[in-house]
Amino acid sequence: MSLKKIFPLLGAGALLFAFFLGIGPILNLLPEPISPNANLLRDGAIATVKLTAISGFLGFFIGLALALLHRADYRILRLFSNAVVSAVRGTPLLVQILFCYFALPVLLPFMTLNEFSAAAFALALNTGAYNSEVFRAGLNSVHKGQLEASRSLGLGRIQSFVFVLFPQALRFSLPPLMNNLISLLKDSSLASSIGMLELALAGSRISSESFKPVPVLTTVAVLYFALTSIMTLCAHWYERTQK
Amino acid sequence: MTPMIEAKNVHKYFGKDHILKGINLTVQRGEVVVIIGPSGSGKSTFIRTLNRLEAHSEGTITIDDIELKDGANLDAIRKEVGMVFQSFNLFPHLSVLENITLAPTKVKGLSKGAAEKLAMDLLTRVGIPGHANKRPAELSGGQQQRVAIARALAMQPKVMLFDEPTSSLDPEMVNEVLSVMKELALSGMTMVVVTHEMGFAREVADRVVFFDHGQILEQGPADDFFSNPKEERTRVFLGQVIRH
Repeated sequence: MSLKKIFPLLGAGALLFAFFLGIGPILNLLPEPISPNANLLRDGAIATVKLTAISGFLGFFIGLALALLHRADYRILRLFSNAVVSAVRGTPLLVQILFCYFALPVLLPFMTLNEFSAAAFALALNTGAYNSEVFRAGLNSVHKGQLEASRSLGLGRIQSFVFVLFPQALRFSLPPLMNNLISLLKDSSLASSIGMLELALAGSRISSESFKPVPVLTTVAVLYFALTSIMTLCAHWYERTQK
Repeated sequence: MTPMIEAKNVHKYFGKDHILKGINLTVQRGEVVVIIGPSGSGKSTFIRTLNRLEAHSEGTITIDDIELKDGANLDAIRKEVGMVFQSFNLFPHLSVLENITLAPTKVKGLSKGAAEKLAMDLLTRVGIPGHANKRPAELSGGQQQRVAIARALAMQPKVMLFDEPTSSLDPEMVNEVLSVMKELALSGMTMVVVTHEMGFAREVADRVVFFDHGQILEQGPADDFFSNPKEERTRVFLGQVIRH
């Protein structure tokens, strides 16, 4: 992998690092009720990023798996993939998170999850379903002659996928995958509904304790905006390396 | 010696359409067979059945004494049969060199160094050693098709299939591809070529096969075929393609 290709990744890491290094001191400079709660807001932001990173990572593979099942030879696998995608896309994310936290342990006792795991599981499944549509479109946009050429050279089905189809599909898919990741970061605020302490819940607590919703919620919004801006910036960098 | 390719009574249906209606064709080792015919005659479908990009519906195809069917046989045959496509189908995300080394390293387990040496030899053979590190999109159509030929040759196939290799090229690039194919034919490669290039057929082919409506209407040695076609339908077709 060339340096040019990993530059967006390095850039994202550096910006996030700077964000978390800077956020505490900067929040401390702000007047009441922000500065006394700077640590709480910083911890909330860290939890939001963690939740987004983990469910985004899992969602990438869930999406890929669902897209592959959609192309499977067996009808039952295709039906399964369709059913999962339809169910996830047809129900509110808030209900999915509540379901994973409260209902899943009743149905499957071994699936008793803490707040973070339940939220990560629901978010991963949700973003995975949307990612699967992205991968599906990406795989379909690879010309069918590519697979024919690869197979006629003697590469097997899996080799053809790994070395020929997937790299091309991923290139088509990355910009919309990035969009899904940005949506995921914002949607992770719904994890507050099951009491997972992340940025939105931190803000809401401070706001109700201080009775000063305007500065608190503005700060929370600005922090979300900073995080999504970092991601948008990296997406732009990536797109430029593709030219 | 047994023939390299033996197709017996090959039929192909696409749904209700009967595309190939009982093709019998034998290609000897080292022979160059050119398939011509109007579009829709089934010639491309037939050549694609020879490495099972299309599965034939009936009949048998044997290549180098291995019968063509799904499973382990298929992998064995695909390693021996190289294919060149009308639309090149180079891998756009890989460099020219990587396009050629991919299959030898992943399928045959050649080391990277050995595969790159092989690739450079082949690029020299097809006349474009200077473009190894470029992406396919940076090359002209003729150069891309020559890379595609080198890529197929890198697997050291016993048979090369060409499916209208010059049909999507600008006219001034047709000859550079044909001359590579001519050199390949002279080197003793067994070749099956679907083409509209009658000059190439006349000069290089050992045998010309005329497809019409999913059947072989007429075949014969190139000289004979062009100077003295027997069937009226062949005469009309040749009159139309050679006139301009």
